[in-house]
Amino acid sequence: MTDREWQTLLAVIRGEQLRPLPTAFIIDSPWLPNWAGHTILDYLSNGNIWFQAHQKALSTFPKTIFLPGFWSEYGLCTEPSAFGAVSSFEEDAFPFAKRLLPTIESVDTVEKPNPRTDGLLPLVIKRLKHAQPEIEKSGHKIRFAVARGPLNIASFLMGTSEFLMALKTDAARMHRFLKVITDFLVEWLAWQRECFPSIDGILVLDDLMGFVGKDDFVEFGLPYLKRVFAADVSLKFFHNDAPAKVCAPFLAEAGINLFNFGFQHTLNDMKEWTGGKITLLGNLPPRDVLAKGTPEQVRDETIILINQLKDRSRIILSAGGGMPPGTPTQNIAAFIKTVEEFTK
Amino acid sequence: MQDLSPLHQAILNGDAKAAKAITEQALAAGVDPVKLVQENMVPAMSEVGQKFECNEYFVPELLLAARAMKAALELVRPLLVAGGIEPIGRVVIGTVKGDMHDIGKNLVSAMLEGGGFEVIDLGVNVPPDRFVAAVKEKNAKIVALSALLTTTMPSMKATIDAFKEAGIREQVKILIGGAPVTQRYADEIGADGYSDSAANAAGLARQVSS
Repeated sequence: MTDREWQTLLAVIRGEQLRPLPTAFIIDSPWLPNWAGHTILDYLSNGNIWFQAHQKALSTFPKTIFLPGFWSEYGLCTEPSAFGAVSSFEEDAFPFAKRLLPTIESVDTVEKPNPRTDGLLPLVIKRLKHAQPEIEKSGHKIRFAVARGPLNIASFLMGTSEFLMALKTDAARMHRFLKVITDFLVEWLAWQRECFPSIDGILVLDDLMGFVGKDDFVEFGLPYLKRVFAADVSLKFFHNDAPAKVCAPFLAEAGINLFNFGFQHTLNDMKEWTGGKITLLGNLPPRDVLAKGTPEQVRDETIILINQLKDRSRIILSAGGGMPPGTPTQNIAAFIKTVEEFTK
Repeated sequence: MQDLSPLHQAILNGDAKAAKAITEQALAAGVDPVKLVQENMVPAMSEVGQKFECNEYFVPELLLAARAMKAALELVRPLLVAGGIEPIGRVVIGTVKGDMHDIGKNLVSAMLEGGGFEVIDLGVNVPPDRFVAAVKEKNAKIVALSALLTTTMPSMKATIDAFKEAGIREQVKILIGGAPVTQRYADEIGADGYSDSAANAAGLARQVSS
C-alpha cells in the first residue's frame, strides 16, 4: 500500500469526506491468481508469481486501494495449519484445512502454537520478507498484520456444526479453547508487526461471528475480538460477510474502525447499526453483479448504491465481501470509474 | 391420550436426550410413529424455522434442534420401515468439494427426514463423482448440494456436469442451497431448485418429486 493510499484510509476513518469517494477491494487467492493468469497453487507456491500478480493488479487498477495489500496467505489453511490441521491444496482450487479435533473433549488437548515456527506461518513471513525490497522499491509498504478470527479458526479445527453447538452445550470448554486460540492470535499478529515495523493495521476475518445470536456474540465473540484488536495500531479492520446485524452495534466497542460486510445489509442500515462510528467498506453484490454482471450492469448498480447513501462520511465503496472469483477487469474498471464520476 | 407436547418442547429446546427419551416412552406406549413425526417433530422443526426467520433463533439453536429431531427420528425410522411405510423419496445430500462447512447440510438433512424423505448424507468436501456414485448405488432421485463459500460454489456446477457426463442428469433433480447461493446462480448452472432456507427444503424436495 502506498503512503497516499494509507493516508486516504486514515482520513476516511477520521471522518473526512473525500471527493470522489475512495474505492477499495479485499483481494486474495480466490480471485487474484486466475485473474493474473495462474493457477491457485502456482500463486501460493511461487513467490515471484505471487508478487507479479499483485503488481499486475496494482498497475491495472491504480485508482483503487487493494486490501490488505500484498497479502501473503494460504487461504483458510494459514492459521489452522499452526495447530496441526492438514491443509489440502489442489492445482486450481481454494485450499482448505481439514478438521483436526474428532470430539469436543479433544479440544482439551489443543496447545498454543508458536507463530514463529509452526504450520505455514513461517512461510507467510518468509514470502513477504523476500518480496519486501521489491514492494518498497515500487512505493508500497506492508501495512497490515492479517489473520482469521478466533471463531473461524475454532470452527475449522472442530467442525463448524460441532463448534457452534458446543457454545451452547459446553460453554466453559469453549471458552478455554477460544482463549488458547486468541492467545495464539495475539502473538501471531504481534509477530507479523515485529517482522514488518511498517505495519500499522490489523485485518481479522471471521464469518462465524455472523452465525450466532446476541447473547452468544457478547459471550463468545466480543471478548476475544477485543483482545485481538487491543493492539496499538491505527487501523483495525474486520471482515464478516455473514449476517452482521447482531455484531454491528458492538464493533466499535471491540476497537474496530473499518468493517467489510456482506451485501445482505445496506450501507445505510449498517451505518445506523454501528452508530456511524465505523468506516464501512461495501457493498455491491460481489458475485451476481461485480463478477457476473456486464460492465453496464455494474455501472447501473453502482449508481443505485451511491444514490442510496444517506451519509457519505466513513464510506469506502467496494464489494460486499472480498473480490469474488472470476471478476473480470472491465467490471472492476466500470465500478471504479462510476464511483469517480458520480461522487466527485 | 398421551401428551406429546414435551417432545415438541425438547426439539425446540435442542435437547436430544429428552427428545430421545420421550420418543422411546411414546413408542413403548403404542403411539403411532407416523403421528409422532408428522404431528410433533415436524411442527416443532417448523416452529424452529420460524424462530430463525424472526431472529429469535440462530444457527447454534437450529443445529441443536435438528440434532434433537434426528435423535428422535433414529428410533422411529426402523418402525416406519418395518411398517412398510415408504419414504416419499430418496435424497443424496452433501457439502460440495473443497467446502468443509456442514451447517446447511445438517439442517436440511433433518428437515428432509422429518418431511418423510430417506436421506443419504455424504458429509463434507464431496467430489462430484461421489454424488454420482451414491445416486446410482442408492437409486436416489434427488441430490441436494450445499456450499457456504463463494469459492466452492463452482463445485456445484462441476457436480451437475458430472451427472451429465455420467448420462444420468435427467434421472435426478438437483437442488442447491447455502449462504452465498442465489436463485440466479441456480438458474445459471441449471439446478432444478434452490432454497434459501432449510425450512423450505422439504417442501422444495416434495415439489420436484411430484
